[in-house]
Formats: sequence, structure tokens, C-alpha cells
Amino acid sequence: MKLLIIAAAAILVTGIRLLISRSRRSGAPSHPLRMLTQLNLFGEIGLIAGREIRERFRSRMFRSISVVLLLLVGAAVILPGTQSASQSQTIGLVAGTRTLENELHAVAAHLHLTITIVNEADMASARTDLAAGSIDMVLNGTTSILVKAPFSATDTSSAASFVRDTATLLGEQHAYADAKLTPEQMHVLSQASPLPITSLTAKKSITTTGEATALIGVVLIFIVLGQYLSWTLMGVMEEKSSRVVEVLLATVRPIQLLAGKVIGIGVVALTQAISLVVVALVLSAITGSKVLSGSAPTVILVTLLWLILGYAFYSWVYAAAGSLAERQDQVQSLVLPLSAPLIFGYIVSLIGVSTGSPSLLVTILAYIPPTAPFAMTTLVGFGVASWWQVLISVMISLISTVLVALLAARIYRAAVLQTGGRVHLRELRLRSPH
Amino acid sequence: MDHVLALKGLTRTFGTVQALDGLSFDIPAGQVIGFLGPNGAGKTTTMRAIFGLTDLDRGTILWNGAPLGAADRRHFGYMPEERGLYPSMQVGEQLVYLARLHGLSAADAASQAAAWLEHLDIADRTASKVESLSHGNQQRVQLASALVHNPDVLILDEPLAGLDPTGIDIIGNILVEQARAGKCVLFSSHQLDLVEDLCESVAIIDHGRLVASGTVDALTTQGARRMVVRIDSVRDGVWAQAIPGVTISEISGGEVRLALSDTADSDAVLDAARSRGTVTKFVFERRRLSEVFREAMQS
Repeated sequence: MKLLIIAAAAILVTGIRLLISRSRRSGAPSHPLRMLTQLNLFGEIGLIAGREIRERFRSRMFRSISVVLLLLVGAAVILPGTQSASQSQTIGLVAGTRTLENELHAVAAHLHLTITIVNEADMASARTDLAAGSIDMVLNGTTSILVKAPFSATDTSSAASFVRDTATLLGEQHAYADAKLTPEQMHVLSQASPLPITSLTAKKSITTTGEATALIGVVLIFIVLGQYLSWTLMGVMEEKSSRVVEVLLATVRPIQLLAGKVIGIGVVALTQAISLVVVALVLSAITGSKVLSGSAPTVILVTLLWLILGYAFYSWVYAAAGSLAERQDQVQSLVLPLSAPLIFGYIVSLIGVSTGSPSLLVTILAYIPPTAPFAMTTLVGFGVASWWQVLISVMISLISTVLVALLAARIYRAAVLQTGGRVHLRELRLRSPH
Repeated sequence: MDHVLALKGLTRTFGTVQALDGLSFDIPAGQVIGFLGPNGAGKTTTMRAIFGLTDLDRGTILWNGAPLGAADRRHFGYMPEERGLYPSMQVGEQLVYLARLHGLSAADAASQAAAWLEHLDIADRTASKVESLSHGNQQRVQLASALVHNPDVLILDEPLAGLDPTGIDIIGNILVEQARAGKCVLFSSHQLDLVEDLCESVAIIDHGRLVASGTVDALTTQGARRMVVRIDSVRDGVWAQAIPGVTISEISGGEVRLALSDTADSDAVLDAARSRGTVTKFVFERRRLSEVFREAMQS
């Protein structure tokens, strides 16, 4: 898997270099992107999409957001490994015994913590070392524990857990001694384990890689959709406010202009999403990070599929909404109602992921186009959706997208040339978008 | 065969406003045609209708005798009243993009864009963003965007508004060149003197109806006789108000333009003028287009 990812990245880089060198030799536009977007493979729609792609890739905002997202992804992949590698504690032990040292190592191993034990002559020197920072805590035999600063109740770090577990262990041993238990009895008690709890339905938690990938996928879909749908909305609004739309619609049909814009921005969105996934996988492979190790390829593919379907569905809605406004303040009043189903689907799916068991509501939302991108990705991650269920949801989403696109094109055609204020749907004479 | 764009009975209502009311006239090739009318007369609606940007309630638009279609419109050039260009896009790139949308190849679009920018004297701004240009230069780029695909028809809404004299000369010359090259050229303007200088014909509309049309020569020579009188140190036309058969048409630049009915006596006019002061100008002239316009509105 790692070799495949590295090979794919190498092929991608080589391909781009080849395009650049060929374009330089032929004297054609030197930018490979410009060359690709000027091919006009798809007529007017291709030209319009090409312009969108060029302008978006060039924009400072796109570059800034891309850099920030790549840094976040890189940090998310690399930092946990760095942190886990540095999880070590130095324990100052006063009046220690071999048995106590073994017990401390056992507690640390349980917490995946590396400890170094330093024998201290007395508490005074231990205090000095603790204050100087050469040790992290002091254990005075089995009687007390000294730390530099108190841990908060919500501190879940390994160091805090180690202190708490050690305190509990030694406290229990004191209680056993006070009860005058024999070593055999103490051993039996120390081996106590909780009773297994079973339920009628299997308990789920984010333990499998598929589920973890689904969580990341749901977040990725939400971020990318949020960013690019707002671009679609603003792009249409800006074309209307700058009046360039009148020049364009004198040449191309409204449906062509709308489709070109939606496709162009969609290509940019998908490119960014794929780039983030590839960078995360490559970094994971290179650094040996466990964050994405063995991540479910199926869930990654489903995430990208639902990113496309989600964008395809919402982009028409946002584009039509953009045609109703011609100023920033008018856009603001449109954003909330448009975002509501997106946010609802995202939150319900996130709750489903975090509770370890997608609810019936998530299952229902997986078949409703506005929420399906989040809900179906969650179900696939949990392995509770079979291929035909995904197929049904995809079909519903595709049919809905076509219907929404037709309605959006009519709204767009009727509204985009109306100037002088926010246009309301009831004012429009909806006719064929052609 | 020369091209001709024919508007037949165009009718459009916006709510209670009758924007177009059975408007009909032809736009033949080879002429610059001025499209005149007061604000709200329906000029912009007519132009938008030609490009399919406004749905018509009734009426048809014919191109060379056949109903106008989307494919035909790709060979039309349009300059809307409210200028429309991508503000942050480079001038040259924008023209190439628009030319390609009209069907030109990448190479042809690039060469045409360069040629028009040169012709409009803004070649040095090819790499500039549109938003960085002055109003006049943006106007030139807008005109270039209407011309870059070598259209058969040019429809321009107020192309001369806000231009300095140099800009007016450049754009005016281009309109005449295009007409001489066999294109149909229609442009609207409120600058009637410029229209009179540039146009062979005009169509004047009011309340969505055609109220006058024809060649400038025909319109300015028909009707009542025109006389221009200048009296030294007299700037008003009060002296002419009581002369039988004479109406004051216009007072500007110290000159009084008079319309004389068939029964009016020019000697009576001269006598009335001399009674006020020294007459420095006393000539018969053609009607001005502005007079044709005002009389069309009054009728």
C-alpha cells in the first residue's frame, strides 16, 4: 500500500514536470494548467469551467486556504506520532524496592508510557531535583507522591494518568495491608477484573480504521463543501453585481454558464480534496504515522464520491441563491437557510460516529440527498451499509440533483438579470432555462 | 445579400409598465443607426430582447428573414448600458475568453484581441486588470469585447456616455468603419449632436412605440422651415413669441432657432429681431436632430 502511494505521487509529479517541459518547448502557454484549460474540449461549458479553474487556482485566497489545510493535515498526521514518541517520565524514587519498581513499570506499560526510575537519597534531594525539572514526580516509598504542579480533573495525558493510577495502586496496597491480607489474598485481589457487560445490540466505538476514516471523511466533506459552496454563491453574485453576466448571457445559454461555473469550481474542490488525501497518505507512509495506517480505502473512495455528489447537489442551490443577490449583505440572509440542512446532516452524523453507533436517524438521513453525503459516509465507515444501499442512495441523490439543477437554472435565468435589490422567488417568471 | 435585422411588433410588459408596445423597425447593414428615446422609452429592453435577455410577450425578431436564434446571436456584438467585465481579470485574457465564447479558436481570439486593443489605442494595458483602468479605457475594452469576434451586428447601449472627445472620436470612427464594412450597427445615445454627426438613420421611440424613423437627412429637412437668428447682446427669444406662425424651437449659445409655418412671414421675423437690436445672424437651416426628437416626443 505504501509503495503504491509513493509510486502514484511520483507519477503525478513526473507528469506535471513533463507537461511543463513540453509546453516550454512548443512555445505554448507555459503554465500546464492554462494549457489544459484552454483546450476547449467541452465547448462553451468547458471554456467557462476552464476560466473558473484558472481564476480559482490563481487566487490568493485559494492558495492561502490550501496551505493552511495542508499544514493542518500534515500536523494531524505527524504530530500524534511525535507526541507519542516523547511520552516518557522520570520518576524519583525514595526508599524504593524492586517490587515497587516492577509495579511502576507495569502501570507505565499499561499507559504506553516509558519511565526512567532515579533512586533519590532522601526527600530533600528529591524535592530539589523535582524543582529543577530533572525528574517529573517523586514517589516516597509507598507512602506519598509529590508532583510539581497539581493535575486538573480533566487532564487525560499519560503523565496525569500515570500519577493517578500509581496513587490508586499504592492506596489499594495500603488497604490490603491494613486488612492484614496474606500475599496470596492480595494477589487474588490484584487480579480482579470487571464482569463482562453484554447487550442485545453490539456495542460500537471508534476502534476500527474504517470508522476513524469515516470520521475524518465527514469532517473533510463538511470543510470542503462549506468552502466551495460559498465560492459558488459569491461567484454568481459577483458576476451579477459586475454586470458581466449580461455580456455572457448574450452569447451563451444560462444553463451553460451555470454548468460551467459549477463544474469549474467543483473540479477545484475535488482537486483540493484529493490533494489533501494524497498528502495525508504519503506523509503517513513516510513517517510511519499510525493515524492513517491501514485506513480503509473503501471509505476514502466513498468519502470522495459523496463529496462529489454533495457538491453536485448543493452547488446548483447555492448558484441559484447567488443569482437572487447582488450585494454582500443580501448574501448573508441567504446563507443561513441554505446551510441548515448541511449543518444538520453533519452534526447528526458526527454524533453517530462519536457514540459508536449510528442511530436510526442517521440511517434515514443517508437516503435524503442534502444529508446523505455525511450520513452514508458514516454508515459505510461503520460497515452497516451494503453496496446496494449505497447504490440506492446514490441514485436518489443523482435524480434529485438533476431536478434541482433544472429548477436552479430557471431561477438563475429569471433572477440574474434583475438588478436593483434582492430578488424574491415569488417575483420571478420561471421559464425554460434554454 | 445585405444583412438585415428586423424587429416585428415587439411587446413586453413588466407588471403595470408597458416597456414595449408593438415596436417594429429594421436595422439594415451598411448604416449606423441611432436609437433614440427618453429614459424609460424601452431602448434597453429592445436591445436585451435582441439578445434573448428579455422574454417577449409578443413579437418576433428576424435575421435575414428567418427567426433569430441562439446560433445567430453568436455573430452579434453587444455592449450593455451597465458595463460588464470581470474586474480582476486581465484585459487581454478577458477579450480572448469572450472571443472564444463566440466560437473563435485560441489563436484567432488572441490575434483579434491584440488587433482591437491596438486599434483602440490601449495595447499597453493588455496585461492590466480591468479594475485598474480609467472609466474611458474600461469603455474601450468594453467596446473591444463587442467587436473582438468580428460580429455581423453591433448593438451598443450608450457607447459614448462618459467619454472624452478623443474617446468619442475613436469609438465614433469605429462605428462608421463597421457600418462601411457591411455590418448592422445600432447604438443608443442621448447625445443627439453626436448621433446626428455619426448616423445615417435614426429610430426614435417613446413608451415602447416607434414615433419617428428614417434617414437623418430626410428627418431634418422635412417639416416646417427653420431659421436661426442672433441678436447682439440679446440672449432670450421673447421678441419672437408674438410673431404669427412662428414658434421658438430652441435657444442655445445666444442663438434662437425658430420654426416657421407655411403662413409665417420671414420679413416679420427680421423686423421683430431688428426692433430688439443689431441682427448678426439671420439664416434658414435644416432642423436639428434634437428638434426632430423634441417634436416627435410632443406629438
